Order: sequence, then structure tokens, then C-alpha cells
Amino acid sequence: MNVQFKKGVLELCVLVLLDKQDRYGYELVQKISDRIEISEGTVYPLLRRLTKEEYFTTYLKESTEGPSRKYYRLTEKGKRYLNELVNEWREFSNAVNELIKEGVSSD
Amino acid sequence: MTKDEFLNKLNEALRGLSLNERRDILQDYEEHFVIGLEEGKTEAEIAERLGSPSSIGKDLLASYHIDRVEQSVTSGNIIRAIWAVIGLSFFNLIIVLGPFVALVGVICGLWVASLGFTLAPLLVIFDFLVHPGTFEFFHLFVSIALCGLGILLGISMFFVTKVLNKGFIRYLKFNVSLVRGGLKHE
Repeated sequence: MNVQFKKGVLELCVLVLLDKQDRYGYELVQKISDRIEISEGTVYPLLRRLTKEEYFTTYLKESTEGPSRKYYRLTEKGKRYLNELVNEWREFSNAVNELIKEGVSSD
Repeated sequence: MTKDEFLNKLNEALRGLSLNERRDILQDYEEHFVIGLEEGKTEAEIAERLGSPSSIGKDLLASYHIDRVEQSVTSGNIIRAIWAVIGLSFFNLIIVLGPFVALVGVICGLWVASLGFTLAPLLVIFDFLVHPGTFEFFHLFVSIALCGLGILLGISMFFVTKVLNKGFIRYLKFNVSLVRGGLKHE
């Protein structure tokens, strides 16, 4: 898959995963890489960027096994951004799906 | 690659970042390794899936320097940001450096012109001192007119330079989003 395209989608994935609950970095990376092939290391720079843009806040939480983990929580600003991206994505994917349908049926 | 090798390489790639920032970044990756090991993966496996530490470092370095330029526009900050963005890919060498050199050339040229115009009366006076016989009022008036023009040009260049700085930073950011894909998983 085109890499640029994947990168943009990665942002959307991270935001969506944080919509319902706070998660730690490793968990986010695994959830995404289970379904999409990515370089797992690219997720952390993305998390830092989105945190700097105030879409997330972070906090440390002790885990039962091993050291504490850094959790990410979606802010109000992040939620608005997520909605925007989801709408954009729906419009975009609908349009592409329509084009595919037309292309396939006319063959 | 072992965990330590990975973290060392990443740390090296992050040279130029503040100590706090570096520690913060390394902590994220360390945490990743620790949890991965708890889940029974090997260090080599985890490092492999993370991808190249030097590309990760370049990505982080570029965002860091662009942030810095946005906070305060100094020529040092701009140049560091440009270097960091160029480091992201070879493609950027041309795409970033080309327009930058052209832009700087034009700005410098105009600044020099404005300085030259502004100093024109001095030249006429100097000429008069060296060759007293050749003085003409026409030269003096033309030089005074040029001086006025030079000052106006200088003032407008002050604003133009400011605006162009901002524009160039936006261009850099656009460029980063364009090549962020450089870190692909083969």
C-alpha cells in the first residue's frame, strides 16, 4: 500500500482507538499492527506529535506486571479532530467505493 | 539487533535534541521493549518490528526542529530545520534546498540593492572629493532619489523577509508530511 496514504490513516487509527478508552503505547501499536502492516516504531513519533498538538494528554499508571506505563487520553480538541477525520474518511472511502463499483460493473 | 543496540542507535540519531526530550523518547521505546519481552517476544523480534532506529530518529528530529523554528525564527533555527528535513530523504535535497537557495539569493540580492541605493549620495560625495572638477548637480539629485528608493526598498524588504520566513516554514512542514512515509516496513 502507498506509504504516505498509510501514514495519514495511522493518525485516524490512533485517534479512533483512544475514543472509547485510554490506552498505552504498546497496546495502540499492537492493535494497529494486527490489522495493518506498519513499522511499529513510527507510531511513537506520531503519538508525540499529536500530544504536542494537544489532541492527547498522557499519564503514567502502574501495571500489575513490571514498570508503569504511559497512557494516552483523548482531549476535547482531539475528539473534534477525530470527528473531522472520520467524516473525511467516510466521504473519501464512499467516493472510492463508488468508483470501484462503476469500474467493475462496466467491464 | 538487541534492545540496547536499538536504543543506542536511536539515541545517537537524536543528537541535537535536548536531554529531557531524548530521555522521554527513549523511555517510550524502552517501555515498548519491556512489555514485548513480558509477552514472550525476543529483543531481536521487537527491534525488527519497530523498524530502523535511525529513520525513526530522523523523523523525530525533523519535527523537533520545525517546532523550534515556529517558536522563534532565527537563522540558526531555520538552517537546523532545513538540515533535519533534508535528512529525511535524498529527494528532499533537491526539493528543499533548491527553492531555499533561490529564495535566499533573491532576498540577499534585494537587500544589497537597497543598501547600494541608500549609499549612492556618499559615492557622489566621494567622487567629488577625488575628482573635484567633475561635480554635477544632476548626479547629486539622482543619487538622492536613489537613496530614497533604497530606504523604501529596505523597509519593504524587512517585511518581505519576515513573510518569506513564515512561508518557508510552512513549506518545510508540508515537505515533512510529504516524506513522512520514508519509514516503511519492508
